[in-house]
Amino acid sequence: MNAGKEIVRFEKAGLAYEEAPETLSDISMTLREGEFRFLTGPSGAGKTSLLKMIYLAHKPTRGRFFLFGEDAMEAPREALPALRRRIGVVFQEFRLLDHFTAYENVALPMKVAGVNQNQYREDVSELLNWVGLGDRMDAKPATLSGGEKQRVALARALVSKPDLILADEPTGNVDPAMGERIMKLFVELNKLGAAVIVATHDLHLVQSIGKPVLRIANGKVTRSAGAGGAG
Amino acid sequence: MTQAEETKKRGKSAGDKPARRGLFRRGTAPLLPEAGAAGAPLTAVIAVMSFLAVLAMATLLIVNHAASEWTSALRSEITVQVKGASAEDISNGVEAAMRVLNDTDGVLEATAQSQKDSAALLEPWLGEGNVEAFLTIPAIIEVKASPALRDNLDLLRNRLAAAAPGASLDDHARWHDRLASAARSGQALAFGVFLLVMGAACAISIFAARAGLAANHEIVSVLHLVGATDAFIAAEVQRRFFILGLRGALIGLAAALAALVLAGLAVRAGGGADNFLPDLRLGGWMVLWLVTAPIATCLVTALTARLTVLNTLSKQY
Repeated sequence: MNAGKEIVRFEKAGLAYEEAPETLSDISMTLREGEFRFLTGPSGAGKTSLLKMIYLAHKPTRGRFFLFGEDAMEAPREALPALRRRIGVVFQEFRLLDHFTAYENVALPMKVAGVNQNQYREDVSELLNWVGLGDRMDAKPATLSGGEKQRVALARALVSKPDLILADEPTGNVDPAMGERIMKLFVELNKLGAAVIVATHDLHLVQSIGKPVLRIANGKVTRSAGAGGAG
Repeated sequence: MTQAEETKKRGKSAGDKPARRGLFRRGTAPLLPEAGAAGAPLTAVIAVMSFLAVLAMATLLIVNHAASEWTSALRSEITVQVKGASAEDISNGVEAAMRVLNDTDGVLEATAQSQKDSAALLEPWLGEGNVEAFLTIPAIIEVKASPALRDNLDLLRNRLAAAAPGASLDDHARWHDRLASAARSGQALAFGVFLLVMGAACAISIFAARAGLAANHEIVSVLHLVGATDAFIAAEVQRRFFILGLRGALIGLAAALAALVLAGLAVRAGGGADNFLPDLRLGGWMVLWLVTAPIATCLVTALTARLTVLNTLSKQY
């Protein structure tokens, strides 16, 4: 039983896009400090939508949602940036800024947080070296391969040492060796206290890491066998 | 082939060129990309706005300056007109009026215009040498008066009436009031044009800021998701618009100053300043005032863009 602080809690939350039927229904789950969850399910099941609610891109249309102990549905708009800064997101479509270099993309969360460059320059360089892009720091995304972009996106998500890491198919565009390294990094960060949710189709990866699994099907979240802490 | 091998094989590409130096020490691009094709038209429009704002401000200053000169001249002078049934009556009246004037405290200078000078004024209409044959022209005495005398002319008026029955005193008050009224109208019109230009700059800035946000929607979205505040994004947009505005404003200022210098030369070449037209020469202090117009255009553009962005973002999650 993990008694860490609550990082994410949904209570019968639902999400509908405009007038369409709900994409996610009656989501009730809790993620605590230091917990690791895989999120699996068929394409279109709502994995990305669930992550979007957590990283405050979409507001649940019903139910309740707490993030880092704060009621995220009632929080004033001015309070949201501070919550977002505690989350590192690896987007499925990378979402790098095309006019920025790899270095600038990775440093972006620190820059918007107003951190002095002297304080993060080494961290950014170290992360880019770690993901194998030490010699591509000045490259623009248009000149990077899909795998390289994914690694830049990963470095950007981790640079601010977030309390919550969300990764949407983080190994989808990298070779197996790099995929394994990335997952090991998530596990290490998780051991250091960060809560982690990784959405993936790669069941082999899920099994090899051996962490609890949340499964989404028909817009509802269920726990797979052995998953603890959810709900 | 692994990603790392692929990278090593490709080596550094053209896209690896270091970005230009900026906020990041390694060199950085601005958070919002340079406007490129969209920036040039905006700069051009702001240049036109700035040009019009400078001309409106120049009109305001020139009218103000000219009105001040005209009214000052009118206020410092008074005119004594001497009528009579014959040239001899007029001549006697002028002599009497001049004695009174020369004997009055506050009269700095009194100059009687000769009959010949008066006739010359009417010759264009009546023909050379014909004026005196048709008319008995009243004599005019131009008087430069001290402010104290100018403020109390009743005594002088009474003394003139007693000494020279055909003499009347004109303090130019009617002209002064009309001129002041016309100057105020001109100044109000110029200021109105200036305000309209500022309003147009606001409207353009709102439109451009909204278009910029729409065009950079993905970037703004990413900035939000990594924790940027609305104020941070608005400050970036404001900085962009300030730079574009400054560029346009300087172009507009240069063009307007060139136009004013050319207009001044043209007026002087035509002898305009001697023919009651305002002097279009720009003094140092006037240029300083003119510089406020492009600065105002630039600030209005940047601040409007900031407020537009804050307003637009406040409607998002």
